[in-house]
Amino acid sequence: MLIVDAIFIGLLEASPLILAAMGFTLIFYLNGFMNIAFAETITFGAYFAILFNVVLGLHFYLAVIPSMLLSGVMSVAVYLLVFRPALNRGVGPTEMIILSVGVSFMLRYGLILIVGPENLFLNEPSISYMQVLGLGATNLQLVALALVFIMAGILFWMIYYTGLGEQMRGLANNRELAMASGINPHATSVAIWFIAGCAGGMSGVFSGVFAQVTPYMGWNVILITMLVTIVAGVGSVRGAVVAAVVAGILTAFITLVTKPLYAEVALLLAFIGVLTYRGTRTA
Amino acid sequence: MDYLIFSLSLMLIYIGLAQLLHVQFGLAGIPNFGVVGFWGIGLYGTGVLYVQFGVPLLLAIVVASVLCAALAYLLAHLILQRSGQAILAATLAFAAIVATLVITEKDLTGGVQGLGTIAFPLGDLDARNIVYLGILIVLVGALMWASARLRDSRLGRVLVAIRDNEELAASLGKDTAASKRTIFAITCGLMGVLGGLTAPLHQFLVPYLLAPSLTFAVWIALVLGGKGHNLGAVIGVFVTFGLFDILVETYAPVPAEQAILLPNFKLFCYGVLLVGIIMFRPTGLLGEDAPRVRRRSGSGRVRDIAETGAE
Repeated sequence: MLIVDAIFIGLLEASPLILAAMGFTLIFYLNGFMNIAFAETITFGAYFAILFNVVLGLHFYLAVIPSMLLSGVMSVAVYLLVFRPALNRGVGPTEMIILSVGVSFMLRYGLILIVGPENLFLNEPSISYMQVLGLGATNLQLVALALVFIMAGILFWMIYYTGLGEQMRGLANNRELAMASGINPHATSVAIWFIAGCAGGMSGVFSGVFAQVTPYMGWNVILITMLVTIVAGVGSVRGAVVAAVVAGILTAFITLVTKPLYAEVALLLAFIGVLTYRGTRTA
Repeated sequence: MDYLIFSLSLMLIYIGLAQLLHVQFGLAGIPNFGVVGFWGIGLYGTGVLYVQFGVPLLLAIVVASVLCAALAYLLAHLILQRSGQAILAATLAFAAIVATLVITEKDLTGGVQGLGTIAFPLGDLDARNIVYLGILIVLVGALMWASARLRDSRLGRVLVAIRDNEELAASLGKDTAASKRTIFAITCGLMGVLGGLTAPLHQFLVPYLLAPSLTFAVWIALVLGGKGHNLGAVIGVFVTFGLFDILVETYAPVPAEQAILLPNFKLFCYGVLLVGIIMFRPTGLLGEDAPRVRRRSGSGRVRDIAETGAE
């Protein structure tokens, strides 16, 4: 019974993480560096939701869509203004990460300077508790979970079965060959950054509505997202989903057995262990 | 005046940390994003030993630093042969573990309520703040001298070779893994020493001190100053911490209602500076200094670990 509880709670709690890990891993796969500024895509997604849901008074479920799209636009803008010029200058992978830390600081503290450091709350849709297979959950959590699975399905289909996905995989594996085959790297990159941004934004909206919206919310999940992505292997979207689900269930399980903070420590130790024994698949 | 001395002392700690990071990343190419973790082990290790077990301050610093170096060696064994991105994530995770354990192990560390107080040493001196600052200047100066010497030593050259092409260095018979582990453990241990030296400055330790912002501040300073230059760390810390935390926060005439936003504005500026420097001057303000011309005697006599490890 404990196991079932853990799996159930883990899945519910992990749903924003699954989205974040998928978006993060797309960029990691395509451009070969860990984009820490992805944290800000998550945060901005939640703040866009505040704009539409609280300031403009849209219904929560309606506000999800424009927030998601705006996060995608922001992600593309950051790519075009900062990361593409840097990649063209030949900045190395570690320096790219430091650069993304700089972008992250700029966006996060720029946001605080504009909207202030206070925690904000989204207007939740009417909450009702439901019984699913004898376990309690709110309708909001179930909708979030369903949306995550739909998004994940769309992403899978896109990456493994469409032309865009094929172009992305081609560019990631051998850029010169892909370009010689007539793939436009520019258009593909913009599309991927947009999709990744949408996933990040949606992740932010849901973690925002589950708890609260703070300028640090993206930053708080980026470490776990990074580790999940690395453990899953570079650019494996399937792996990212599996690792995010496992991380969520593991956290829920340890939290049920001991204290929540120990769950964090155990999870991080597990990640270091996995990194040690995984061999060289981490690029 | 006291506050200025406190700030300057803290600035020296930052310079020391950035200098050690210069050795780790600038010379050996190890992206250590867990600076605050190693520093924190030194800080809290010293604090716990001093407050809970009554160990004298100096001994507490030494024990905590040795513990820190040992943990760093263990971590190095686990992850140092992985890719740069994996090392980065693992060290970041290590720092997060340290910060979390400080909160959970309330019996030892006082948890979120804090741990105190660590008495300022040199108690019977009038100008003890200034004397302590002087000690820090000497220690950090020695650190900088040592790292300049290291660069010209055999171990230093092996490290640069590893950074540029590890396979090539290994094929020349250098035990690259052992060299990296050794230098990582030593430099992390020294970060622990700096942490221990910070303990009496703060006197009262709270888990908030272990937030990752310290790691990023040090990284920003180093990248800004020039990661491959021996003076890069100093310049970088002057431009970031010296300019913003000391000059602006202490002396700039900012109205009170805007003053709460000042730290946020500072971090915003750090971000802008960092982006600008990587885009337009990736080697930092100072660039990379060329290794000094090799003298035939001098460094030749030093037999180091890389040398003995070679087969």
